[in-house]
Amino acid sequence: MNQKLVMVIDSAKCIDCKGCVAACKQANGVGRGVWRNWIKEAVPPVLADGRLGRGHFQPGACMHCDEPSCVGACPTGATYKSADGSVVIDPKLCIGCGNCIKACPYGARFRDPVKRIADKCNYCPERRAVGLPPACVDTCPTKARVFGDMNDPDSEVSKLLRANQGKVVRIVAKGHDTKPNMYYIASTAPDGWAVKPVDPLSFDALSGLIGPAVKAAVGLSGLGVLAMLGRQLLVSARGEGKDAGPGAGPDAGKEDRHG
Amino acid sequence: MAEIRRHDPSDIRIHWFNAACWLVLLVTGLGLIKNERLNPLGAWLPDALRALFGGGTAGGAALLAVHETVGVLWLVGFLGYLAVNRAGARFFLCEIFSVRPGDLAWMVRKMGRMTLGVGGELPPQGYYNMGQKAFAQASVVGGVVIAATGLVLLASDKWLPASAVWLIGWAVSLHYLAVGLVFAGLLVHIYMAAISPEEKPGFRSMFTGTVPEDYARHHHGLWLSSREPDGEAGQ
Repeated sequence: MNQKLVMVIDSAKCIDCKGCVAACKQANGVGRGVWRNWIKEAVPPVLADGRLGRGHFQPGACMHCDEPSCVGACPTGATYKSADGSVVIDPKLCIGCGNCIKACPYGARFRDPVKRIADKCNYCPERRAVGLPPACVDTCPTKARVFGDMNDPDSEVSKLLRANQGKVVRIVAKGHDTKPNMYYIASTAPDGWAVKPVDPLSFDALSGLIGPAVKAAVGLSGLGVLAMLGRQLLVSARGEGKDAGPGAGPDAGKEDRHG
Repeated sequence: MAEIRRHDPSDIRIHWFNAACWLVLLVTGLGLIKNERLNPLGAWLPDALRALFGGGTAGGAALLAVHETVGVLWLVGFLGYLAVNRAGARFFLCEIFSVRPGDLAWMVRKMGRMTLGVGGELPPQGYYNMGQKAFAQASVVGGVVIAATGLVLLASDKWLPASAVWLIGWAVSLHYLAVGLVFAGLLVHIYMAAISPEEKPGFRSMFTGTVPEDYARHHHGLWLSSREPDGEAGQ
């Protein structure tokens, strides 16, 4: 069976040390001003007696969705769902059009200012190739982040998901569940920050208007050619029985007396 | 029968160069559109082409590299043509964009005659008939759009900043639109030139450069009469 790589996060354990953010940048050479992962903060409420209540820290990154809206917005297929369940960007095929960045409801993607193409979490394939977990998971001091194959019943993520059955939550975009594969144990905060995935106007125009218009134009033109070809064959078939020679066109005898 | 010079060797070379580039660019371009909301022929074509070009993501990257390289060569080829035959290019552009009275009637009647076999007498035509002019206009305007948007796409992951993604998005859409519309015309162009028996001498002239005088008189009467007083006018 194929792998299904997921992340299970116990955000109650997160202490906002930003170790995962720094380790990711270091491991993947992520440039200045951009990040592949994050820790969001739920601001603690002010209680009745004026003291602060409990806040909450929430680690996150690309959720490697099962129905990724970014893949549907990529014109070249540079971003795709790979066999191990991760959502991958092929840097050689990405042209940096930026469609996928707006299409991600989690803001997990950015356009790398140096490479000028889309970038995001890729579960550290170089580290996985040598048997190491992703850098963010490896470095987490409280082990809030756990990574593994959900299809392997003996993996740590499978055990965690089994032990917390019915108590696992996901952060779902407004009006559009992309089936994210980042599972938060018990509860997490903040919630409701994922936005509605949007396509740029140019892409909606292409898929909704320009694509069908081009199909119609090519279809109409093809029909015209078929009509002309049909008539050509018909006339030449008829002509063979009469006086016009084979291959005489539809206008034979009118304006078409060339040799 | 007297043969009349119609195409300069540079015209013939750029025509077939353009045709070869179009073939490669159309096929590799279609192979690049791997998105179920866009691909006009389904996923099998990009999948098959990627397999042909080395398989998987490497195949896709090779496809893109071929498309970009041939696209730049195509543009360089046209610049080369402009360098060697500027007068020919000017003549071509003047001819295709000058629509004369009677051209519209020619277009409507010709379409009727070719498809349904109905339509009146055809008004005389110049160096190009209205059908050729319409396709040439689409090719020139479309070609400029394709080249300009193609350059934007070529530059997108090399020089363009993140603030220019709107431009890149529209370049993708317009590239597709222009190619699609020119391709629709190309189907008729190929039929008329290579399959329809009527234009056989025209097709032959795209190799030899000359047409029989009789053909020119019946198909391009205004051109023939315009070149008769001083012999070599026209081209």
